[in-house]
Amino acid sequence: MEKKYGVYLCKGCGIGESVDIEKLKKRAALKGKVPAELIKEHEVLCGPEGLELLKNDIKEGVNTLIIGACSPRAKTEEFKFPGTITERVNLREFVAWTSEPMSADAQSLADDYMVMGIIKAQKGDLPEPTILPDLSSTILVVGGGTAGLSAALEAAKAGYQVVLVEKEAELGGWGAKLYKETPRQHPFEKLEEPKVFDKIKEVESNSNIKVYKSSVIEKTDGQPGLLDVTIRKNGNSETVKVGAVVMATGWKPYDPSKLEHLGYGKPNVITNVQMEEMAKKGKIIRPSDGKEAKKVAFIQCAGSRDANHLPYCSSFCCATSLKQAKYVREKNDDAIAMIFYKDIRTPGQTELFYKNMQNDPGVLLTKAEVTGISDGLNGNLYVEADNTLLGEKIKVEADLVVLATGIVPSTRAPQEYLDGLTEAGKKGDEAKKVYLESTQKPEFILNLAYKQGPEIPTLENAYGFADSGFICFQYETRRTGIYAAGCVKQPMTMADATEDAAGAALKAIQSVEHVAKGIAVHPRAWDVTFPDPLMIKCTSCKRCTEECPFSAIEEDEKGTPFYKLNRCRRCGTCMGACPERIVSFKDFSVDMVGSMIKSVEVDEDEFRVIVLACENDAYPALDSAAIKRIKLNHKVRIIPVRCLGSMNLVWVSDGFSRGIDGMMLLGCKYGENYQCHFIKGSELANYRFSKVKETLDKLQLESDRCQLVQVAINEYDKLPQMINDFVERIEEIGPNPFKEF
Amino acid sequence: MADKKKVLVIGGGFSGLTAAVETAEAGSDVVIVEKSPFLGGRVAQLNKYFPKLCPPNCGLEINFKRIKNNADITFYTLAEVESVTGQEGNFNVTLKVNPRFVNDKCTGCNACTEACPVEMPNEFNFGLDKTKAAYINHNQTFPFKYVIDGKHCKGKACAKCVEACKYGAIDLDMQPETVSLNVAAIVIATGWESYDISKLDNLGGGRVKNVITNMQMERLAAQSGPTGGKILRPSDGKEPKNIAFVQCAGSRDENHLPYCSYICCMASLKQATYLREQYPDSKVRIFYIDIRTPGRYEQFYWKVKEDPEITLTKGKVARITEASNGDVELVVEDVMAGKKITEKYDMVVLAAGMVPSTKDSKIPGEISYTHEGFVVPAYLKKGMFAVGSVKSPVDVAKSVQDATGVAIKTIQSARR
Amino acid sequence: MADATVVKPDLDFVKGVIAAGGESLKKCYQCATCSVVCNLTPDENPFPRKEMVWAQWGLKEKFQGNPDVWLCHQCNDCTAYCPRGAKPGEVLGAIRKQTIKQYSSPGVLVDIVNNKSLMPLIFLLPAILIGVILSVMGTFKIHDGEVIFAKFAPTIFLQAVFTPALIFGLAVGIMGMRRFWDDMKRANKAFSGDLNGSIVAMLKEFLSHDRFKKCGVSADRSTSHLLVFYGFVAAAIATAIGVLYIDVLGMESPFRFGYGTPVKIFGNLGALGIIAGVLFMMSNRFSNAEKLGAGSYFDWLLISVIAIVGISGFLAQLLRVAGVAPIAYPVYFIHLVFVFSLFIYLPFSKLAHMFYRGAALTFLKYSGRETQ
Repeated sequence: MEKKYGVYLCKGCGIGESVDIEKLKKRAALKGKVPAELIKEHEVLCGPEGLELLKNDIKEGVNTLIIGACSPRAKTEEFKFPGTITERVNLREFVAWTSEPMSADAQSLADDYMVMGIIKAQKGDLPEPTILPDLSSTILVVGGGTAGLSAALEAAKAGYQVVLVEKEAELGGWGAKLYKETPRQHPFEKLEEPKVFDKIKEVESNSNIKVYKSSVIEKTDGQPGLLDVTIRKNGNSETVKVGAVVMATGWKPYDPSKLEHLGYGKPNVITNVQMEEMAKKGKIIRPSDGKEAKKVAFIQCAGSRDANHLPYCSSFCCATSLKQAKYVREKNDDAIAMIFYKDIRTPGQTELFYKNMQNDPGVLLTKAEVTGISDGLNGNLYVEADNTLLGEKIKVEADLVVLATGIVPSTRAPQEYLDGLTEAGKKGDEAKKVYLESTQKPEFILNLAYKQGPEIPTLENAYGFADSGFICFQYETRRTGIYAAGCVKQPMTMADATEDAAGAALKAIQSVEHVAKGIAVHPRAWDVTFPDPLMIKCTSCKRCTEECPFSAIEEDEKGTPFYKLNRCRRCGTCMGACPERIVSFKDFSVDMVGSMIKSVEVDEDEFRVIVLACENDAYPALDSAAIKRIKLNHKVRIIPVRCLGSMNLVWVSDGFSRGIDGMMLLGCKYGENYQCHFIKGSELANYRFSKVKETLDKLQLESDRCQLVQVAINEYDKLPQMINDFVERIEEIGPNPFKEF
Repeated sequence: MADKKKVLVIGGGFSGLTAAVETAEAGSDVVIVEKSPFLGGRVAQLNKYFPKLCPPNCGLEINFKRIKNNADITFYTLAEVESVTGQEGNFNVTLKVNPRFVNDKCTGCNACTEACPVEMPNEFNFGLDKTKAAYINHNQTFPFKYVIDGKHCKGKACAKCVEACKYGAIDLDMQPETVSLNVAAIVIATGWESYDISKLDNLGGGRVKNVITNMQMERLAAQSGPTGGKILRPSDGKEPKNIAFVQCAGSRDENHLPYCSYICCMASLKQATYLREQYPDSKVRIFYIDIRTPGRYEQFYWKVKEDPEITLTKGKVARITEASNGDVELVVEDVMAGKKITEKYDMVVLAAGMVPSTKDSKIPGEISYTHEGFVVPAYLKKGMFAVGSVKSPVDVAKSVQDATGVAIKTIQSARR
Repeated sequence: MADATVVKPDLDFVKGVIAAGGESLKKCYQCATCSVVCNLTPDENPFPRKEMVWAQWGLKEKFQGNPDVWLCHQCNDCTAYCPRGAKPGEVLGAIRKQTIKQYSSPGVLVDIVNNKSLMPLIFLLPAILIGVILSVMGTFKIHDGEVIFAKFAPTIFLQAVFTPALIFGLAVGIMGMRRFWDDMKRANKAFSGDLNGSIVAMLKEFLSHDRFKKCGVSADRSTSHLLVFYGFVAAAIATAIGVLYIDVLGMESPFRFGYGTPVKIFGNLGALGIIAGVLFMMSNRFSNAEKLGAGSYFDWLLISVIAIVGISGFLAQLLRVAGVAPIAYPVYFIHLVFVFSLFIYLPFSKLAHMFYRGAALTFLKYSGRETQ
């Protein structure tokens, strides 16, 4: 595209009163090398007349617009001109609303920002999507339990082909093993027949769904839209092509053999899973002598909420035991069911279920810390408990004890195995070999042929659950196009798993739809740009393949990286990681930002600080400070970046070698409760930042001149002061000695 | 696709936004109808999310960005659904769009607020402070367009804002408009209201000065709140150092809300951390019936419990009265100790429950509700869906799962 | 630490409490609202929350010598505020009934009193008894001339039938009370204390109804109870004067018009107190029925008997003065039947609460659980 420029300055919202527009025009023309006649001003650019002006110019052929007005966060729709490069320069929030009107500082700020905007437009190009050929829109669902069946059905109903892989001989999962189900809907009065069988029928009769039973996935290779999945069934392998994956591989009960302290191993101590089986068969009996159980004790949180076992709550066991108590009562009116709980957890409307189940003469409940199960006469047992509602320390006789065991996600074992392997690998090849030989390999689920490992990474500190790290975005995983659903993600009820599965199926559909259009998926679901490396300069250092949070970059036999583009989320981490600076996006590149930094006017008497701000959180926070009219330090120049992970160290040397006195990097919070929308972006920036010292040392500069700060979007009230403090620190250190050059 | 079928989402809170954005990103056109002047709903009023303690505006910002960048999503604020007829694939809906008195020329410059002489109770802050009649609710709001409150504005007699606005953005003559839509599917995501604590007569009935609700606490702790994020008790601005949380204030109570409101345990644990962080010399005591922190939320509970200045006591507070100097006295049985205790606090936070918005304002169309006003999804007409807390009390995470799940059903309806 | 207490749930006890008017028992989820809103409970080990869970688990031994269930005056503040509709007030009422059954022998009479279908027996048996005796005596008829009830039921008859009935009732009650007292001492390990002082303190409190007055939502109940109680006291004093004059001193009836007027007025005031009080009780229960429950059969039986005793007595007097013999004698007969019922069922009906509550309140002070 041959660029035809147009530069527009809005005078509204106080911009006209804050800076000398004429001077600004001259400066922009001079430094931005734009003919002065292309620079236009307007009283209110976002108003009908202003927009008319822009549209007319576009009609006349202007295709590269630099608009000096408000923040790109404001008036986004108004200033959107498809088919053009439109660069927004934030004169309102970062100049007019945050500095002394008509001061030299304000003028210089506006000058720098306009020039940076022009340079950005000059360096950029109009992006065009890349659409890979032969895409598949088939959805693979792994797991045929409640969640998997639901996901398959929903996707099929939405018009997609579905491949469902179940490792057992029959579909249904745990739902098919239940005697009765807890009701899912108002009025929560009666136990219900298991619903999963209807679902199985529906799935098996749906022509859009191909079911593979007794099957496992041997290998998953490729990228969204182009995933080759090898399914092994009865020793035969078959490869199917799919577009995206829903992983609904569910859970296993916590291993009860670890619950010896709660009596497991004694003949009349069973788990809630065994209770379902027994109830399904007919009578509730004692395994030891087959006699009907008349005093049944339920021990809640058997393994769950226990630092020595599962440090989480398994979410459904309270309702399950209330339900099973009803089994006991239904089958024998002389029997009692005693429930020993830590807290009864029947959140939301399930409270009504609690109330209804409890309202039975033979269902007895008490809060208790169960301390042990001891033997009584004739195979009977004593439940021993402290701190109960019935007394400090009690013993109750039971003829059957049911342990309400919790859940372990199916992803936990592979994750632990892989973590162990990584740990061993760190100690060297020998240790790794020993590990591989001595450790039993658990069943893997997806067997991804991905550089960063064969399974989707589960959430850190989440005990193997393949959960999202976000509250707002529940389907975030680090493998694009693969979405977890159901209990593999969080402990949840079947009702919740049904909803969750629908959500995961939707995300899978979005994924195949977006790759078909060549655009990214969440969180940059509008983005048609993609990383476009200049491979000729690649040194195969593999930084990018290691750092990419989404394993979007593979290596060929020679170790040369190449992109699996449909896995890419467009965060730019590879761009930041590349020491050769060869990765570029059409509208975002190392050179572009570097040039912007270098364009900043450096005065010998004045301090200049560059702030690189993550556009997701830090930038809106700065905007918000401006809306509050909190003054921003006039010595700083703010440049937004896609994610701080895209920060390339060369920018630091670019800045300092040009006489910038300090650089502040504003990223999202990282670590356990990370807020980075690209998961690892700001953390990787920090990792790279630790190397900044080397860069600065090379330049013989104080390492304090560069600082990385984690900032949240709501910290706008503190952020201006944080910047002031940093500038003050730089002033203490003194001017950058490179200024003189 | 010229005649793509539309999906209507009623409610612009987090559930509605999610349903809308996810539907649109799967390829359908979406219209959001929001009753208030701004999108974001309850989430915009929260200071932090549990258990991550991250700012909810972060997720809102992303979703607003998704809306701004997606031409397939349109929205109406200050709008209500007046009628719904038809069936899946072909619903006819009429909306009443109430006047904003501010048009698209608004730049968000704040001149109208500065000029406006009228002050009114700030609903966004649950009445903890006042706002002008020309206002935005907070500075990360969307749409970033001011509004003039028709009820409180003195109209043309005053018109100071009209004078102040350089952009001709204020139009005090604006009239309600009726909009007709044809949609393939309808998502009800009208969310929830906080239970009216004046009904809790034994808990002070809303008359004891320093007894606040959990939602008020969010506003007190939020940067965009009435105190700029400093937690001060309402009566005299004193820093509260000794605070009690009363769980199940209205919830799990047949006389009020028979269901559990799902979020309150986690919310109070979270709010305890607000206080402890802001006032290291403060003490917090949480009174509960059962602590409900399902799933991995349990970890958050453990973390909070580790703080020796936060105590948790099983027992429902059933009496609250005003003590001298603005203090609050409460009575509770410490169940595990078997002791009835009376204690004074600087401030008491009631973990007020969730009431579905449909308890009082029903959605037009043939919709079944529970006694408590929740929509019963099983009885909804084909092509109509309910998500989030209008269906059952849920937290944001579950609302998001639910709303994303519903998006696949809307596209099924739209493609049928 | 002490050894674990062995807890033995008894499903029959649970079912018993439920059948005795505690249908809502199982709804309790132990939030302890009840203990807080109760103005009558001590702060240490407050009731009724703990009684609710004990009863839910059928721990009948916990109710052996349990004074707390009797400290409850069924104000029903707990019931009004109970978030689950578990109605602790009603449940404790049901438990008290179980206690009466346990301590009053023969306990089976409690069941009879409680069995709705046997209700007619409660009145028919005394009616037959009195009818037969009076028939044998030849006075069981409508007498001509001035209405004089002594013609119908001679003094000797009253002495021979009613005095033993009252003594039986009191004796059984007092015996039960003693056993209860001993059980309380054992259960609470309180073997010494100031018994006389405690009794005096209890009586003081009782005479003023100070404890009962603390009720919240149904504060009127103490007033109605006070009216009925003092009504009975007045009636009893009037009767005692009668017995003293006629039987002991052999003097002319103190009720005779003229010189007997003051005693007459006193007795009538008592009767009016009973009637007013009992009507007040009824209206209270009806107006609060939705919120607090209307009360059990056990409650209503006593209220009805008292109402009939009061009204029939008063009416009989009016009819006597008016000289309407054909109605006056039957009404008087009804009055006698119901008074007899009241006496004979004293330890088995709800009226037995006078023994057990009296003992419990005394024990409260005796054991030091509540200082005066």
